[in-house]
Amino acid sequence: MASRFWTQGDSETEEEEEESDYEDGGENAVGDSTTVAAGSRYLQGNASDSDDSDDQKRVVRSAKDKRFEEMSATVEQMKNSMKINDWVSLQENFDKMNKQLEKVMRVTESEKVPTLYVKALVMLEDFLTQALANKDAKKKMSSSNAKALNSMKQKLKKNNKQYEELINKFRENPESEDEADGGGSEEDEDEEEEFEEDPTKIMRSDSGEDDEDEEEDAEGGGWEKKMSKKDKLMDKAFMKDPREITWETVDKKLKEIVAARGKKGTGRVEQVEQLTFLTRVAKTPAQKLEIFFSVVSAQFDVNPSLSGHMPINVWKKCVHNMLIILDILVQHPNIVVDDMVEPDENETQKGADYKGTIRVWGNLVAFLERIDAEFFKSLQCIDPHTREYVERLRDEPMFLVLAQNVQDYLERVGDFKAAAKVALRRVELVYYKPQEVYGAMRKLAEQTEDGDSGELEAGEEPKVVEESRGPPAFVATPEIVPRKPTFPENSRTLMDILVSLIYKYGDERTKARAMLCDIYHHAILDEFSTSRDLLLMSHLQDSIQHMDISTQILFNRAMAQLGLCAFRAGLIAEGHGCLSELYSGGRVKELLAQGVSQSRYHDKTPEQERLERRRQMPYHMHINLELLEAVHLICAMLLEVPNMAANTHDAKRKVISRTFRRLLEVSERQTFTGPPENVRDHVMAATRALSKGDFQKSFDVINSLDVWKLLRNRENVLEMLRAKIKEEALRTYLFTYASSYDSLSLDQLTKMFDLSDVQAHSIVSKMMIMEELHASWDQPTRCIIFHDVQYTRLQALAFQLTEKLSILAESNERAIEARIGGGGLDGLPLRRRENQDYGAGGAAGGGKWQDNFSFNQGRQGGGSARTGYSFGGGRPLAFGQAAGGGFSRDRAGQGRGTGGYSAGYQSTRYQDTAYGGSGRTPYQGGSAVRGSQMDGSTRMVSLNRGFRA
Amino acid sequence: MANYDLTPRIGPNLDRHLVFPLLEFLQERQLYPDEQILKAKIELLNKTNMVDYAMDIHKSLYHTDDVPQDMVERRVEVVGRLKALEESAAPLISFLQNASAVQELRADKQYNLQMLHDRYQIGPDQIEALYQYAKFQFECGNYSGAADYLYQYRALCTNSERSLSALWGKLAAEILMQNWDIALEELNRLKEIIDSKNFPSPLNQVQSRIWLMHWSLFIFFNHDNGRTQIIDLFNQDKYLNAIQTNAPHLLRYLATAFIVNKRRRPQFKDFIKVIQQELYSYKDPITEFLACVYVNYDFDGAQKKMRECEEVILNDPFLGKRVEEGNFSTVPLRDEFLENARLFIFETYCRIHQRIDMGVLAEKLNLNYEEAERWIVNLIRSSKLDAKIDSKLGTVVMEPNHPNVYEQLIDHTKALSGRTYKLVSQLLEHAQAQPAR
Repeated sequence: MASRFWTQGDSETEEEEEESDYEDGGENAVGDSTTVAAGSRYLQGNASDSDDSDDQKRVVRSAKDKRFEEMSATVEQMKNSMKINDWVSLQENFDKMNKQLEKVMRVTESEKVPTLYVKALVMLEDFLTQALANKDAKKKMSSSNAKALNSMKQKLKKNNKQYEELINKFRENPESEDEADGGGSEEDEDEEEEFEEDPTKIMRSDSGEDDEDEEEDAEGGGWEKKMSKKDKLMDKAFMKDPREITWETVDKKLKEIVAARGKKGTGRVEQVEQLTFLTRVAKTPAQKLEIFFSVVSAQFDVNPSLSGHMPINVWKKCVHNMLIILDILVQHPNIVVDDMVEPDENETQKGADYKGTIRVWGNLVAFLERIDAEFFKSLQCIDPHTREYVERLRDEPMFLVLAQNVQDYLERVGDFKAAAKVALRRVELVYYKPQEVYGAMRKLAEQTEDGDSGELEAGEEPKVVEESRGPPAFVATPEIVPRKPTFPENSRTLMDILVSLIYKYGDERTKARAMLCDIYHHAILDEFSTSRDLLLMSHLQDSIQHMDISTQILFNRAMAQLGLCAFRAGLIAEGHGCLSELYSGGRVKELLAQGVSQSRYHDKTPEQERLERRRQMPYHMHINLELLEAVHLICAMLLEVPNMAANTHDAKRKVISRTFRRLLEVSERQTFTGPPENVRDHVMAATRALSKGDFQKSFDVINSLDVWKLLRNRENVLEMLRAKIKEEALRTYLFTYASSYDSLSLDQLTKMFDLSDVQAHSIVSKMMIMEELHASWDQPTRCIIFHDVQYTRLQALAFQLTEKLSILAESNERAIEARIGGGGLDGLPLRRRENQDYGAGGAAGGGKWQDNFSFNQGRQGGGSARTGYSFGGGRPLAFGQAAGGGFSRDRAGQGRGTGGYSAGYQSTRYQDTAYGGSGRTPYQGGSAVRGSQMDGSTRMVSLNRGFRA
Repeated sequence: MANYDLTPRIGPNLDRHLVFPLLEFLQERQLYPDEQILKAKIELLNKTNMVDYAMDIHKSLYHTDDVPQDMVERRVEVVGRLKALEESAAPLISFLQNASAVQELRADKQYNLQMLHDRYQIGPDQIEALYQYAKFQFECGNYSGAADYLYQYRALCTNSERSLSALWGKLAAEILMQNWDIALEELNRLKEIIDSKNFPSPLNQVQSRIWLMHWSLFIFFNHDNGRTQIIDLFNQDKYLNAIQTNAPHLLRYLATAFIVNKRRRPQFKDFIKVIQQELYSYKDPITEFLACVYVNYDFDGAQKKMRECEEVILNDPFLGKRVEEGNFSTVPLRDEFLENARLFIFETYCRIHQRIDMGVLAEKLNLNYEEAERWIVNLIRSSKLDAKIDSKLGTVVMEPNHPNVYEQLIDHTKALSGRTYKLVSQLLEHAQAQPAR
């Protein structure tokens, strides 16, 4: 169909052009007129409601003639829409024709239906059967078009019944009438005629110009006609006399093709082919460049839907084309690519020897980003367990080369802002790769060079053939930019280079993303302190909830990775702090974009689901969820078990990990505990052992998890874990059984827990200092002497009672304050005063990095001010500790500093990432928001209690 | 012991001239071969105008009387330039040397400028020349002259940038002249400016702070009151952050100051956290000592570190300042440090023990038995320690110190009644105010 339309368009432009040539035969007019032509043609093609087409001559006629005229115009329009396969307008025109028929009948006052009408019906019927027969075409149709086709089918069937006789008669004897227009069957002939006409017209019009031009134009007409039959012929036509092709011809052709872009019925693939052909006949480098830009954008069009991805071979060609574009740009440094201003029509005419700057419209960065997005999408779509996926991953170096080249070019040109964007794309391809994977990619990129040429060849097979068949391109572009990626030995080096560029020139979002990637990458490389410092200094946790969802996901990923890194480094509390928020909502899959989690309360609309699907991470970028869960639960276990043992009287008071507590409750409720199956069961079994002080069993259970094989330095990590479990087992044991002992010798303890003297001594000393354990050393006998200060049950209850009383008093105060707005309450409750101090501390602590880093957000002040309503006093406290105390395990004073740390470090952040982030997008309803508020309030209470103790 | 030497890290943050004292110290301590130090000195001097001095060093380094040609040339050049600058600044200098004329200057800068311009034909050019001249004097090693000129210049200068660098110059000159009191004044002035000024980028501000802290080391460890002031300065949040980000080695000085200062306990706890946090980026025996005592409770380790600390202090140009007393010189800071460090260890140790063997204690404190006993008795007498000595068994017995449960309960609830009372009165007040309205 497209080819037919193609002809149609051609003939029309030809006409238009003729007109313009008459007007001002200047060169400029050619270009202008073609655009005009394109515009008007477009109008004509789509104008379905034109009662009278403007092109028609206006002569006063009788009413009868007028009606007939109208009708024939409609028929004409129907023909047009048939040519472009536009069933929507066809349907409209059909209805219109039926109305006009009534009028005509009234005017003519005859019973006989006009032949024109019958002819149109016949034509329609033929076309319909043809369209229905062509299954492929039908599939390709847009939905509205297909719908129109179907309804047309029915309408026509009903309508035609009335005129069956006439139609049959007409079919038998089509030439019975002599209408001005050719019949439907004559269509081809008609076109033929038109074409024959065209060159002659041009001949006439161009008579002033020299013969060569004329001939060439005629030639053009010739090949265009053949084109209508088959595309390939176009090549041959051009091949015939390459010397005679001028810049104008190519330009004209380019504009035609470009104008057809996006129209219904334009074959996208064909368009690409046509444009690709044009690149070879381009006259000047600038023109070639221009055409290449069109090729690339046409290639982007090949896949129209948002969810699907671009065919891989097209993608490859696209990359290749981009490389050629860069070749041209490097070869001709005077060509400037710009998308700000619409350049002159004839900029591209300036030849290779032109010295001044030539502006060409285009945006390299946008193209590159699109290519990247397509790559990403293809990885999202392809099933990760197939070979195809692996094959696809192998294309990554190809993209990296391109990105590298584009970045180099942009840097050379001095457009550092754009270069930073490109650098970000590169960073996002590298940041999640540990050194091993990076090394593998590097090796692949190097060795594919031999194979790569082969592979590329394979990818470009058709192209190569084409080129050998076709004439050598007018503007030869040698391969200047390297086709082979050059990676630094170390992924860190690469990251450093890219990231520092981005920090220098990037915009806010680019910088934030680069920062997160940087954090992630440092975390992978086991540099916990560096990546933690980066996170704190960047203040990303304050501003992340204002960013787009994909950045929030990146943030979550970075946090998860940071947690894993902390765990590997043996920093249990920090690890727990990083991970606990991720798990608090039970939506970890969603937060990391590694799968869609079903919500129990909330059904997602298909739209939401699609959106979410589009955000998913490709499989190779996933963070192993089992490992993550194991690490999170183990961290929680190590913190929570001694904590529970220390507070047996009121177990609910200091909760470090709510998730863990809940799981523990569930597992304790079971009547029978079977052997552990999943990660959760394992950790629960380990917890049971640990709470009895049986470190060996606890460790064995955890050791049997098979996620450990995912860790690089597995032995070290397990060794660390063993030591930690021993330590916590000792603590738990002491907490639990302290009341049963009067004294306990160090030797006994070291034997029981397989610890060295120094270690055991240090652990116990620490507990004493923190006043967790009421005991002291008897140095000469190396014994722990327990002081009998364990509260009796009555005393403990009395303490609880006073605690409750003060809470009561406090809430009274708060209630009154809220009521009478007591800003000037001089008897500010104790708690509030303290909080204010901490708040100030928090603000100051936040200010810590304020002036150190140019890219901090300066949101600290806002952050602590905000807490006023959303989190009570909870957050500033936590912040004060997080910033002031860093990540220390502060077990004295306000309970465990880590609790505060985790909350301050994350509470709002993750919450907001989860709720706020999605709350903004329509897919989370009010329930989620309510949930977040609820969560906030519970957190507040728990925190308050935490630090009051 | 050279591995704990901070000179290479401190050097870049100091003025060229300020590095000399450090090098002198190193030369004295014989940490590095003499030759290296002399070469380093020449390196330093190359960019200054102290050519004569450089020549001397060159002679002693290579044991010759010849001086390389370029030094001679440079000397000629320097002298020439000095002349030129002197000339251009002459009118202003002569004015400033005239005491009666100086009397006419007032506090108002604008007025002064106007007056100078009208009556002495001294314009901005001359004032600028004064600055250049002062700088040149400084480069030549004439610090007192430079300091004077800079002081005058600041009174006349309108350009705040210039004024700032003049202040830096003045500070350096005062430090080099060892006028600690004046230097301290200048330091505070500079600090105010740095804190209040708007820097083009936060990085510059941090950099300025770091310079300021490095320069201040000279003052604080020489001034009588310096050890408390160093804590005041370094422990400010902004400065502490600057240390943490860019110059963690300064933690050594802050840690030392904290250990030596007994009255700074509240801030000390926070500082321990900082130390703990920064252990990965910087450690030396002094910070490690604190970590041992307050983080890991590893008393044997602390013991070892204490000995290392002694070495470090002796080899540090700031900490290891010597005082000549009669025939032998002592390092006062070292003694103080050791005494306090011992106290730290002991304090913590006592907190977790009920009974301690005196022999072990003596060993831990780096004292002999008798000394240890005397030391403890002194502590008990000054009632810093709630303990008794069991001399038969040779142990110290700590008195258990646990608050009574009931006292605690009363403490908890005591405030409640007051609070409730206040609450009620407020409520009543409000209730009365309401109908009145």
